[in-house]
Amino acid sequence: MESLKLLAPLAWRNLWRNPRRTIITLIVVSIGLWSILALSSFMTGWTGNVRDSTLQLLIGQGQIHAEGYLDDPNIDHLMPEPDEELVAALNNPAISNWVERLELPAVLQSEYKTLPVTMLGVDPEAEFRISSVPGKVVEGRYLNDMDDDSVIIGLNLVDRLKTALGRRVILMVTGADGSLAERSFDVVGIFDSDVGFEDTYVFTGRNAMQRMVKLEGKISQIAFTVPEAEALTGVLENLSNAAPDLDVREWRKLSPLLGMMDTSMAFAVYIWLGVMMVMVSIGIINTQLMAVFERIHEFGLLRAMGLKPGHVLALITLESILLIGLGVLIGMFTAALTVWSLSDGIDLSAFSQALEAFQASDIVYVEIQPTDYIIFPLAVWAIGVVVALWPAWRAQKISPVEAMRHAT
Amino acid sequence: MQHNKGTKMKPIVSCRGITKVFGKGELAVHALAGIDLDIMEGDFATLAGPSGSGKTTLLNMIGALDHPTEGEVEIDGLPLRGMKKSGLSDLRLHKIGFIFQAYNLVPVLSARENVEFVLRLLRVSPAERRTRTDAALAEVGLQGMENRRPSSLSGGQQQRVAIARALVARPRIVLADEPTANLDSATTAELVDLMFRLNQESGITFMIGTHDPRVMQHSKRHIEMTDGKIDSDTRG
Repeated sequence: MESLKLLAPLAWRNLWRNPRRTIITLIVVSIGLWSILALSSFMTGWTGNVRDSTLQLLIGQGQIHAEGYLDDPNIDHLMPEPDEELVAALNNPAISNWVERLELPAVLQSEYKTLPVTMLGVDPEAEFRISSVPGKVVEGRYLNDMDDDSVIIGLNLVDRLKTALGRRVILMVTGADGSLAERSFDVVGIFDSDVGFEDTYVFTGRNAMQRMVKLEGKISQIAFTVPEAEALTGVLENLSNAAPDLDVREWRKLSPLLGMMDTSMAFAVYIWLGVMMVMVSIGIINTQLMAVFERIHEFGLLRAMGLKPGHVLALITLESILLIGLGVLIGMFTAALTVWSLSDGIDLSAFSQALEAFQASDIVYVEIQPTDYIIFPLAVWAIGVVVALWPAWRAQKISPVEAMRHAT
Repeated sequence: MQHNKGTKMKPIVSCRGITKVFGKGELAVHALAGIDLDIMEGDFATLAGPSGSGKTTLLNMIGALDHPTEGEVEIDGLPLRGMKKSGLSDLRLHKIGFIFQAYNLVPVLSARENVEFVLRLLRVSPAERRTRTDAALAEVGLQGMENRRPSSLSGGQQQRVAIARALVARPRIVLADEPTANLDSATTAELVDLMFRLNQESGITFMIGTHDPRVMQHSKRHIEMTDGKIDSDTRG
């Protein structure tokens, strides 16, 4: 402690012997950390944006299906509407909304073309609360109720089928008895989403669809939303207990690609952390080597005065701790300032076409992860100090008389 | 060669058969070639000789800054051979004060802090540190300049700070290597008077490597070296 009191003020003053060099090092460290934190915040916001946008379309935070449905989504793997116990579990306060759907593979035909699609029978009122699709209708209207026997189709599908709002299309689905159910529907609404989604889904009222395929009382999925991510595991457990014969899955298992994106974004941040750490380390080693080499004579003098080799090591290490620590604080402050100044979101509407492919909305809200503001600064600080130990080690190894032979 | 004959005083420094060889084989340089020397308590000894005669090397051996190739050095009865680096640091801290040719102050510390630094290493209490530091600076005539950094002091003033620093820990011996080499004659005279007075009044042992006749004039004992050997050792 006494040594620290002796060496710390000396270390601090030594930092400012060459203010230019110190400032350059501070800039390197702070920009390095700032870029890591800013990138992490942007990536977190971006991932959240893509994830939420995708989940809000249809998936929700989780879904319930009959066993085997996800492997073979046909009429043999449907389930009844939820019983009282499951409804009670779905009305858990952790679940903000839930919805029942009937989803079956179908064929959609216009006057010009026939295309495979997925037909979704929905409860429009509930879909407004859980899904973003009703808000994406750009022409016409969304479905009125569960008995609405018209259809909503995507923009790209309209182009491919060469159909239009107000025209009729024919849907063919395998019915309960194995026969092909077929009927025509009015196109009452056109939605604008990403091309893949537009090409896949056709929406109609659930009751209307159940009647068409003679599957009254049958559904293929229950989707639910859980606003608090931490509550999801508990919710899944409750639902599994309430419906042990059904297949309850969270969104990561329903959309492995989306789950992988979460992981890969974090990986990208760590790669950037690695790149920045190499750059910062080179900067620190360079600075500290210069700072040490210039003062070799002085270290000899201090050793002659009675300073022990360990004191020299401690002095240079303290300088590194202070220098990198200051850079880290500046980096943290500027990153927090950047995130704060972007709290209204980053408008990426100029790239909206590209964003559509990711299901992302035009505005990305950067997010601070509190753990990032502990882990990354500590990592930069620790690695910086560790690399600076090498020049310090060299300085303490040199004998006083050798050191004093160096020119001042 | 003449050694300290007839004195009953205790040696502060005792060198026996010291040799120092730099380099190896054909490139080997024998900087010291079998030095036997005792420096007695209260000596004001000057060490003279042409450049390359081994003055600085001998002072480095005595100051525990370097190791002899052969031979034994004892400081205040403590043999240096086998002592660890931290032990040598302690020995320098407690028993030896250094004054170098270049003023060798820590540039980021004020005059007071430079002097006080040694006392902080010795873990002297703050109050005592202050008293002893101010007294040491007053002794070398630097009252009122305590808070100046070395860059705002003249060469003579800086060397005075170095003397105050060398003395403040009350060392057993002060080793000075060409302390007046960079100073003008007036400042040299002042500093030599100062060191001599401190020797007379406080009994501090001085061993000064020098070419300067003005320094030699004050010496009680004069040692001449040539080619790593002591040519003469006379008491004045």
